[in-house]
Amino acid sequence: MPAEAARELRLRHVVVLGANGAMGAGAAALFAAGGCTVTMVARERAKVEGAIAAVQTIAKSERIADSLCGATYADGLDQLCRDADLIFEAIAEDFAAKRALLAEVDAARPPDALVATVTSGLSITALAEERSPAFRAHFAGIHLYNPPHLMTGTELIPHPEMPEPCVRALAETLSSRFGRQVVRCRDLPAFAGNRIGFKVLNEVAQLAERYGVQVMDTLVGPYTGRAMAPLATIDLVGWDVHQAIVDNVYANTRDEAHRAFKLPAYMAALAERGHLGDKTPDLGGFYRRVKVDGRTETQVLDPGTGRYTPAQPLRVPFVEEVRDLHRRGRYRQGIDRFMSAEGEQADLARRVVLGYISYALLRAGEVVDEYADIDRIMAAGFNWAPPSALVDLIGAQRTMQLLERYDLPVPPLVEAAARGEVATPLFRLPFVSPGRYFAG
Amino acid sequence: MAEPVFVLGGYQTDFARNWAKEGKHISALIVEAVSGALDATGIDPADVGVGHVGNFAAELYTMQGHLGAFLLEVDPAFSGLPTARHEAACASGSIAILAASAEIEAGRYDLALVLGIEQMKTVDSARGGDFLGTAAWYEREAAGISYPFPKLFGRLGDEYDRRYGLKDEHLARIAAINYANAKRNPLAQTRTWYMSEEHARSTDRYNTVIGGRIKVSDCSQVTDGAACIFLASKEYARKYAAARNLDLERIPRILGWGHHTAPICFDDKIAESRDNPYVLPHTRQAILDAFRRAGIADVWGIDAIETHDCFTTSEYMAIDHFGLTPPGKSWQAIEEGVIELDGALPINPSGGLIGAGHPVGCTGVRQVLDAYRQVTDSAPGYQVNGARRVATLNIGGSGTTSVSFVIGV
Repeated sequence: MPAEAARELRLRHVVVLGANGAMGAGAAALFAAGGCTVTMVARERAKVEGAIAAVQTIAKSERIADSLCGATYADGLDQLCRDADLIFEAIAEDFAAKRALLAEVDAARPPDALVATVTSGLSITALAEERSPAFRAHFAGIHLYNPPHLMTGTELIPHPEMPEPCVRALAETLSSRFGRQVVRCRDLPAFAGNRIGFKVLNEVAQLAERYGVQVMDTLVGPYTGRAMAPLATIDLVGWDVHQAIVDNVYANTRDEAHRAFKLPAYMAALAERGHLGDKTPDLGGFYRRVKVDGRTETQVLDPGTGRYTPAQPLRVPFVEEVRDLHRRGRYRQGIDRFMSAEGEQADLARRVVLGYISYALLRAGEVVDEYADIDRIMAAGFNWAPPSALVDLIGAQRTMQLLERYDLPVPPLVEAAARGEVATPLFRLPFVSPGRYFAG
Repeated sequence: MAEPVFVLGGYQTDFARNWAKEGKHISALIVEAVSGALDATGIDPADVGVGHVGNFAAELYTMQGHLGAFLLEVDPAFSGLPTARHEAACASGSIAILAASAEIEAGRYDLALVLGIEQMKTVDSARGGDFLGTAAWYEREAAGISYPFPKLFGRLGDEYDRRYGLKDEHLARIAAINYANAKRNPLAQTRTWYMSEEHARSTDRYNTVIGGRIKVSDCSQVTDGAACIFLASKEYARKYAAARNLDLERIPRILGWGHHTAPICFDDKIAESRDNPYVLPHTRQAILDAFRRAGIADVWGIDAIETHDCFTTSEYMAIDHFGLTPPGKSWQAIEEGVIELDGALPINPSGGLIGAGHPVGCTGVRQVLDAYRQVTDSAPGYQVNGARRVATLNIGGSGTTSVSFVIGV
């Protein structure tokens, strides 16, 4: 976004609704750290107190509470929002509940106040249906990644009626004052980061049914350019959140990877029985830690039976070789070894990673304007190697050949790079070294 | 007089990274930093005549010594390259620069690579604190003491307090400024952290006392990081400038340097300076030497300073030792806003060791790289307008080894 063209917004007082959730507290910490006075609103007083303590924990400071003021809805939105510059709605991801609360906000907001909703993929336009024209002109989705103080990626989804100068000023303010890596997205299901990221995660979950959980997490593990293995990531995010995201995309998009968003039946059945990942530690998700004879043991789900068995050390020779090269900072050689490894397992891993490159880069022009936006959100939102950095390491021509070999659509960018029509390296995010994403 | 030594730029790794968590060996840090510097300058690795590495304690933190040899891992063209590793605690990076620049001045080589590096997040903070104790006289000042260095630099504050009076609120301001500057630095370790002057002033369950008057907010960071720069003879710099269509006069150079060592024990330093207006006179002398060699009358001939704020007390000391105020009156420059990013003489526009981070053996090289960036108008986000001459001060131990450079055009 052209920073020089944008002015910063006046942002002194922010009202966070649903401040007791992870996103609410994270957003409150972010705005307070940037110098705003923040009113944190939850249903009950005890929850507000807990939320203020959570912000202190996030900021590692008791003093940050000096900028916070706690309130409940009983205090009245009219009163709470009276001098608000931004009303930040961060209640649970429930369309009806959000819509109802936003209707109240519409009635209570001062004429100039911006209204934002934090959502991982609900339609911004649909959330603002039946709202006043003034509300719609001041409404945007701001998707923060969890936890917001560590993950700086931020998707900005302006309501189509928000005037362009206002959108630019909001983006500039989030970026310069609050240190966010802002990516402007169109109002499409799951926006950019989650659409791309959860496609990969769900595809790996589908493959786990046939190949096993540990095998898939090893084959598509951190050596392929991510901080955490895919199925462990789903456990961290929560199976309920995963399901909500992939179901939304599956129901509301029709793209070349549609089938990849179909939640595996075994996950639906287990989630029904309460297996939601790390948030249900006793039941677990793909993994669980249980006490056996006084010591903690990691157990792994067998998707076929729904049972858990002790995790076994798993070493895949080519993966170990790639990791050893990454460990020494030889990322290009590492990726070369990965791309030239032989056997079914190597093909399986490559198909997922090439699928990520293809799917991600094809979202440029659809969900976001430029491929650099995709790079930015996958890096700063997911901690994954940005797709263009992978193309650079593999080589554009070789990427094209591999995409064709796996029958994956070739993004125009890769084709152009292979023909030498765009300058390489493609990856150009300033001050980011792609090496950081390739674990040893 | 020797020909000047030119600084051709370089590269710094992101100080927020945790390389052990990434599963990386220290060689990855070396490969990324040196490759980054080669890419940033477009220098042909075959042109490099010698490599000098500044590092404090890789043997302790990573069980790996002989770091000079690891330069050969970067590029096949480095096979056979003469290399050495230099150690002077937190001043190791500057000592590597001094060694490289002496070789350029002597005409032995035309182009030297200098790498500063430390990987520290391999151990917990208590063990790391113990390792750092080897920068003091370990047996006498550190053995059996948890976090010996905060305590030693707390005593530096105490000595100021005894001689001149010292208010902790001034130390809090130093912390707040460094953190605020770091927010503008895309490679700073603390760029996303919360800090306010009120927090730095308070003592609570998060901002605990580490030793004496030193709290968490007064401390620099435990950091993994490396920085690499290239130093060149006039002849190489001329070729370098011509190939890039640059004006040789605009290529920064080391205008001056100073280097002194004080007794290693803190008590001995204080005893020695008893009758001196400066608490650390050898540090003061290193700065004066750098100014003299640069032909600069006093600190007002400098546009910005990158100093060694391992603790807020060391920056407090640097303010009067650089001569921004008379001895003991550093608080004046703090109160008047002189040292802020938009002040008359900004200190640590990068965020310094407190904000940007302190990978011990890297810091001296990082400071000179930041000075290079300032005088070439290429400091990303924390540029001091119109900076043409920038001074550095890098200190090893409790004010033991002091090195100062003036970098300018």
